[in-house]
Amino acid sequence: MITAGIDAGSRAIKVVLLDARQDRVLAAEAVDQGVQQDALATELFDRLLSENGLGRGDVCRIVATGYGRNLVSLADTTITEITCHAAGVRRVKPEARSVIDIGGQDSKVMRLDAAGGVRDFAMNDRCAAGTGRFLEVVAQRLGVRLDELGERAGRSRSPAFISSTCVVFAETEIVGLLASGTSPEDIAAGVLQSFATRVAAMAGRGLEEPIVFTGGVALVPGMAAALTEALGRPVEIAPDPRMTGALGAAILAARHSPSNVRNQ
Amino acid sequence: MSEQPRQITLDEWEARYACLRAAGVLPEYSYGGPLGRHVRDGDLRLRKLRFDNSPAALRLWNFLLTEEERLHQARRTGSKLVATMKDLGTVPVIVFALEGLVAFYPDGTWWTPCVMEHCDGLLRVADTLGIPDTFCPVRAMLGAFVEERQFPRPDLIVCSAGATCDDFSAIAGRLESLGFPIFWWEIPHRQAFTGEEAVQLPNGFVAARSQVAFVRDELERVKAALEGLAGRRLDEAALSDGIRQANGVRGLLEELRRLVFTANPCPLPAMELLIAEMFAIHFCSDRAECLVILAELVDEVRRRVEAGLGVLSPEAVRVYWVNPVADLRVMNLLEECGGRIGGTDHMICHALVPIPEDVAPLEALARMALADPMVGSSRERAARISREARALGCEAVVVSRIPGASHCGLEGAIIADTVRREAGLTVVEIEVPPLSDAMLPTLRTRLEALVETARERRRA
Repeated sequence: MITAGIDAGSRAIKVVLLDARQDRVLAAEAVDQGVQQDALATELFDRLLSENGLGRGDVCRIVATGYGRNLVSLADTTITEITCHAAGVRRVKPEARSVIDIGGQDSKVMRLDAAGGVRDFAMNDRCAAGTGRFLEVVAQRLGVRLDELGERAGRSRSPAFISSTCVVFAETEIVGLLASGTSPEDIAAGVLQSFATRVAAMAGRGLEEPIVFTGGVALVPGMAAALTEALGRPVEIAPDPRMTGALGAAILAARHSPSNVRNQ
Repeated sequence: MSEQPRQITLDEWEARYACLRAAGVLPEYSYGGPLGRHVRDGDLRLRKLRFDNSPAALRLWNFLLTEEERLHQARRTGSKLVATMKDLGTVPVIVFALEGLVAFYPDGTWWTPCVMEHCDGLLRVADTLGIPDTFCPVRAMLGAFVEERQFPRPDLIVCSAGATCDDFSAIAGRLESLGFPIFWWEIPHRQAFTGEEAVQLPNGFVAARSQVAFVRDELERVKAALEGLAGRRLDEAALSDGIRQANGVRGLLEELRRLVFTANPCPLPAMELLIAEMFAIHFCSDRAECLVILAELVDEVRRRVEAGLGVLSPEAVRVYWVNPVADLRVMNLLEECGGRIGGTDHMICHALVPIPEDVAPLEALARMALADPMVGSSRERAARISREARALGCEAVVVSRIPGASHCGLEGAIIADTVRREAGLTVVEIEVPPLSDAMLPTLRTRLEALVETARERRRA
């Protein structure tokens, strides 16, 4: 039984093909998001099928998740990214009790029960603070690539204090710090700290371990360490963290549907 | 002609109205007509809502959306208008006990920017008066007072102060500075004092005997001011009768809530219930008509329950909802996401239970005023919500924050923590501005995730 999970996020579309009977991921890939979300998702889905010698008829159920989930016409149903990330984490780290998911446009903290189900969750999506977009803007202002931000931060000797949580004001603050001679390394470290503090505040007190970090921002070097410091607890990056939501969607597609629905 | 209970769009209501009208099955009332006429008057939000399809619900909406006309009419016919602010249900009981006085609730204008999709301009007026969007949307009433479109200039403004939210105090203070004289009365922060007799209040709260006496004296002052306006004395018998009438409204609402919260499938949409509940605090400026409308609605809901009919799937997740939403659209959204109302605390729980009739009338009103969940500690409110959510069998809780409302910022986390700890329920906090269109995708995600979580727990 092959199922598919499509995570239509704000920055990328991710597709996972799962052989549910053998519990084996057949394909997992992401492409940048664009205006034609549905077309991009379809194109990626079809390409992965083709590369694996499969046709649409081989896939018994498709679940879409993510910000653009309702725009994915291929999907049989939609499930929120909160439930999907929990399901994805459950597969890669069954003992996880908390999930931090930071994507391009929002951040979430989920508390899981012993069975891996969501017990509670909190989301920040009112502004760019605590999202991948915040880091992108900062990296752009510092003239570095996003993946270099963490490396730069690692070379800091005295992290700057970034007081603004609003991305626009933070950008202004960074310009001021650069003008006053603060090194980009110290600014980068300050930004990661500020970002992690913001996420930790949303998580509240007593986040249970193990804590697993998912979403595209988990790939930013230094981010997990900054979160670990802000939370005072170890934060572990999920394997292939960008794909966790799509993986969870594929798992849930298998769990919640009779087999071969699409072939009947 | 008779149709199964369901939610319908404005266009569907227009067609249904024409059929019902042609069949002569709609009751006659002066403020009647199709819902679409309110859109032509500027209530644009109705185009994006889904409504209950019963004639009783249509009457509820028509009554709500014609309050403006009623107030202007009352002024023309010589009634004295009393604006009752912040106390949430106590002073209107006294006002309506005096012939020739009509109470209304200017705070209710906070829904106008939503219903009129900002074409009313009320919030812009508030902005220019130095009360920007860092304050609760109730600031819209400033614009209404200044522009005199939503209601005429009142003959008396009565406002409670003391244990009220900071932003409301600021807004009322600004109103007074604009030349609107306010009769202030004080409500203290509810508490019991060591070594002093505690008085049992409705909803499980207690207050010190001296606090009840203080509020009773304050209400005596309010009564005297209203008597001065009316030009006649209000004797105990008339006030007791006013309490009985108010209890008539409260009794109907108590029954309506019981039916809606306990029946499966859910017999009435969340939005119509919210509007009906709000009648408890102000009677929508006409207490007698309010009784008729609620009685009709209760009859309709009872019929549905007895027939096993509802407007939502029996699988809908029972959600306890905390605080009224600034945008009514979000109540529809809850149901679109697979939820249903299973309990509410719209900050007016004290106005939804009967006023004691076995004590002196002002003593009874003082106890009611002190039972306001907003005049006590957040911890007490949270504990009450937790108890009620559990008792009603709710599966999840939504704490809906009102942007700029100071109490929301302070108590949201307290309520969420308490409910999680004591009731073991999943809680989500959302913030709903007067027009939430831009935020609907994120609100939808939160509510869908809440429903998914509750369903997963149900399966487990």
